[in-house]
Amino acid sequence: MSAPFQRHRITPWILMAPQLGIVLVFFFWPALQAIEQAFYVEDAFGLSREFAGLVNFKAVLSDPTYYQAAGTTLIFSLAVAVGAMSIALLLAVMADRVIRGARVYRTLLVWPYAVAPAVAGVLWLFLFDPTLGLISGLLGNMGIEWDHKLNGAQALALVIMASIWKQMSYNFVFFLAALQSVPNSLLEAAAIDRAGPWRRFWTITFPLLSPTAFFLLVMNSVYAFFETFGTIDTVTSGGPGGATTTLVYKVYQDGFVGQDMGASAAQSVLLMALVGGLTWFQFRYVEKKVQY
Amino acid sequence: MATLRLNGIRKCYPNGITALHGIDLDVGDGELMVVVGPSGCGKSTLLRTLAGLESITEGELTINDQRVNALEPAARDIAMVFQNYALYPHMSVFDNMSYALKNRGTPKDEIRRRVTETAQLLDLAELLDRRPRQLSGGQRQRVAMGRAIVREPQVFLFDEPLSNLDAKLRVQMRLEIRRLQKRLGVTSVYVTHDQVEAMTLADRLVVMNGGHVEQCGTPMALYERPATRFVASFLGSPAMNFLPVTAHRGGVVLPNGNPVALPVAIPEGRAATLGVRPEHLIEATSVADATEVLEVTVEMLEPLGADTLAYTRLPGLEEWLVVRLDGAHAAREGQRLSLAFSMAHCHVFDSQDARVPLADTEAQACQ
Amino acid sequence: MHYRRPGLDRLSHALLAVCCLLFLLPVWLAFTASTHTLGALYSQTAPLWFGEAGWDNYRHLLSGSIGGLGTDVLTLLINSTIMALGIAIGKIAISVLAAYAIVFFDFPFRRLCFWLIFITLMLPVEVRILPTFEVVADLGLLDSYAGLILPLIASATATFLLRQFYLTIPPELVEAARIDGAGPWRFLRDILLPLSKTNLAALFVIMFLYGWNQYLWPLLITNDADYLTIVVSLKRLLTSADGLVPWQNVTATAVLAMLPPIAVILLMQRYFVKGLVDSEK
Repeated sequence: MSAPFQRHRITPWILMAPQLGIVLVFFFWPALQAIEQAFYVEDAFGLSREFAGLVNFKAVLSDPTYYQAAGTTLIFSLAVAVGAMSIALLLAVMADRVIRGARVYRTLLVWPYAVAPAVAGVLWLFLFDPTLGLISGLLGNMGIEWDHKLNGAQALALVIMASIWKQMSYNFVFFLAALQSVPNSLLEAAAIDRAGPWRRFWTITFPLLSPTAFFLLVMNSVYAFFETFGTIDTVTSGGPGGATTTLVYKVYQDGFVGQDMGASAAQSVLLMALVGGLTWFQFRYVEKKVQY
Repeated sequence: MATLRLNGIRKCYPNGITALHGIDLDVGDGELMVVVGPSGCGKSTLLRTLAGLESITEGELTINDQRVNALEPAARDIAMVFQNYALYPHMSVFDNMSYALKNRGTPKDEIRRRVTETAQLLDLAELLDRRPRQLSGGQRQRVAMGRAIVREPQVFLFDEPLSNLDAKLRVQMRLEIRRLQKRLGVTSVYVTHDQVEAMTLADRLVVMNGGHVEQCGTPMALYERPATRFVASFLGSPAMNFLPVTAHRGGVVLPNGNPVALPVAIPEGRAATLGVRPEHLIEATSVADATEVLEVTVEMLEPLGADTLAYTRLPGLEEWLVVRLDGAHAAREGQRLSLAFSMAHCHVFDSQDARVPLADTEAQACQ
Repeated sequence: MHYRRPGLDRLSHALLAVCCLLFLLPVWLAFTASTHTLGALYSQTAPLWFGEAGWDNYRHLLSGSIGGLGTDVLTLLINSTIMALGIAIGKIAISVLAAYAIVFFDFPFRRLCFWLIFITLMLPVEVRILPTFEVVADLGLLDSYAGLILPLIASATATFLLRQFYLTIPPELVEAARIDGAGPWRFLRDILLPLSKTNLAALFVIMFLYGWNQYLWPLLITNDADYLTIVVSLKRLLTSADGLVPWQNVTATAVLAMLPPIAVILLMQRYFVKGLVDSEK
C-alpha cells in the first residue's frame, strides 16, 4: 500500500520522535550494554573490568544452579500453561453451553486478571500460612504437613497455584470468545448428522479452537517466564534452596543480590536469545496460520 | 466553469510499473467525460492523478489553463465521489457534507445555507442528523454526491460511484447523476467499468486499455466506428462477433470458405478480422438488400423478453456466432438459419487490430 | 444448539458457580482477615467472617506511617495511580503518533523504524533489568516518577495494536479528507482519533493494569519510600516484622492494592475483552 501522506518530510519524524527516543534510550542502549557487559569481567568493587571473551558464558553454562533454574522454569511454565489453560477451557465450554448467563460468568471470572502477580502471591500465601492458613490447616487435619518454607516441592506448588489462579481468567476470555465465534451452522450440521454434544465438541469445536490454544500456550509461557516474578519474590524469594528460582529470578538474584554483573549480563543475553528464538518461531507459525 | 486539459500524462510507480503511457485529453466546460475500460486499464489511476492523490511522473495537467501538477488535492478545487463513498463514519450527514467548508473557514451560516440547499436538491433534508451506518446504500450514495456538490467545485470526479448499488438503484441513480450534472453544469470526469453506464451517461467517452487511450468520442461515434478491435469488443452487449478472415480478390474469405466482396485495402492473402454486431445479423428471408448470407445452426437460445439471443454455430468458426432475434421469433435449438448482414454494418480490423476503412461506406458516412 | 440437555445445563451451572466461589475464596479470606486484630487472627485459623477491627485497621494504614514501610498506604496508592496513569497515557500517546507515522506516511527508513520499534516486543523489561537500571541511574532518574514510568513505556504492544487498527481504515477515507482540505494533523484530530475511541479505551484498560501491577521495576529503582508503589510494599510488610507476620496489615494492603484495578476491569469490561481479543489477531 502506498502511504496517503507523501509530500510531508518533517511531520512523520515529529510523530516518530517520542517513541523512537524512548525505545533507543530505554531499550536499545540497555540491551547493547547487556551484550557488551556479558563479555567483560568486573572486580568485586566495580572499579575495573577487563575483556573476558566467553568466560562469563562458560561460567554460567557450567554452573549446576543454572541448569536447576532452567529445569524449574520448564516445570513451572508447563504446569502453569497446562493448568491455567485446561481449567479455562473447561469453564469456557460450560459458560458457552448455558448461553444465558455467559456474560455474568465472564464478569465473575475475569477479575483475577486485574490482580497483580505479587498480590496473588500474598493471597495464596495467606491460604497456606503454616500457622493460620485455611488450606494448610485442612491439609494438616488430613495428616499432610505443609511448610513451603522448608519443602521445595510444596513451595513450587504454591507458586504454581497462585500463578494459575491469576492467569486462568485471561485464557477464559480468549476461549469463550473463540467458542462464541464457532459458526452455529457447523454445529447444527453435526447435530443433524447425529453427533452428540461430546462428539460435536471433539470433532468440530476443538479443532477450531487450536489456533487460539496455540496462541495462549505462547502467551502463558511468556507470562510464566516473566510476569510471575512478583509472585515468586513475595511468596518464596526463590527458595527454599533455589527450588522456585526461575531463569528470570536468577538474573535478578545474581545481578542485584549477588552483584555479579558479568554472570547476570551473560544470563540476560542467553535469555534474550531464547525469547528471541521463541518469538521468531511464533511469527513463523502465525504466518502459516494466515495462509490456510 | 472550467476546462481540464491533460497533456502527455505519464505515471510510473517506484516499482517500475507504468500505469499511464502519455494521456492527452481535453474536457470541455460543463462536459461529462466518461472514462471506461476493464480493470487494470489505468482509468482509476488517471482519475487519481487528476485529483492529486497520485503524483504525475511526466506531462502537464491544467485546470482553466493553470498548471496544477504540484497542487495538493484540496487546492485544486475539485470534488470526488468514491466507489465506497468514504463517508466519515463518526460524523452526521450534516458534518460529512460541511467538513470541507469548515476546513476552508467558510462562515457558519453560509455552511448551513449551502448544506440545507444541497440536501433539498438530493432529498436528504430529513437525514441530516443521521450517521452513515443508519443510511441505506442509495442514501449513502446521495450523501457522497452531496458532499461533492456542496463545495461548488470546478470539477467533479466520479470513481465508479454506482458499482456498490443493486441493479435497480443503479439505473435510478444513473439518471439522477445525469440530471444533476446537466443542471449544475459542472465539468465532470466519470470512471466506470460498466459500458452501459458509460454509453448512457457520457457526453464524450474515453475507452482505455493497458494505460493507453484507445479512442475518444461521442458514445454513438465509438459504437458505430470503433477505431480498434478492443473498442469494438468492449462496447455493446452482447459483444460484437469476430470472424477471422483472409483478404482475397478485393474482398475477404470467411471461415466457412465463402468469399465476401468488401472494398478494403488489405494486401492479398493477409489475415484480418471481420466484426459484426449481433443485432446486425438478420434472417436472410426478411431482408432484401442483404449482401452476404451465412448458413448457421442454432445451438442455444437465451430469451430476454423483447429479444432472444441465439448462439449459433458457423462451420469453420470456433466461437459461437451470437445473433439478436426478435423476441417473438419461433427459433428452436438445432434449427438452421440463414443470416445476412449489410456492408454498412461491417467492421474490418487488420492484424494489428486497427480499423481498416471501407472505401464506400465510410466515405458515405463522412458526407 | 439443537439438542437441549437440561441435565447437562444444570451440571454446567453448578460447576461454574462452584468455580466462581473457589476463585473468590482467596480474596474473601483476605478481606475478612483484614477486619480482625492481629491477636484475634492468631488465635484460630483464618476467619471466614468479618471481625470488629476493620475500620481501625484501614484507617491506621491510610493515615499513619507504617512500621517497615516508612510511609502510609495512601501515599502508596497515589504513587501507584501516578505510575499506572503515566504508563497508560504515555504509552498510548506515543503509540498513537508512531503508528500514525508508520501507517499513513511515506518517509525514508520507514521500514527500519518499524523494526526498531517492533523488535522491542520480543524482550520484556525483565530480561534487561540490570543494564536498564544502570541507564536510569546514569540519567539520575532513580526514585522519581519519570524513572518509574519511562522505561516501561519502551515497548511496542500498543503501537502494534494501533497499527493493526489503522491498517483496517479504508485508504479512501484519508483521500476524502485530503480532498476536503484536511492535512495530517487535522486528519488525526478530526477523523483518526474519534474513530479509534474504543481501541484507545481498550488499550487504556490493558495498560493501566499493566502499569499498576508492575513489580520488578519499581522494586529496583525505588529506595525512597515516597516513591514506593503499593504492590511492591507487600513484601516489605511481610518481611518487616521479626516475629509474627502482621497479617491484618498485609491483607488490608492487598485488598487496597486490588480494588482500583478490579474496579477498572469490571467497569470497562467490554473494552477490556475487545482489547485482549484483538491482540491475538
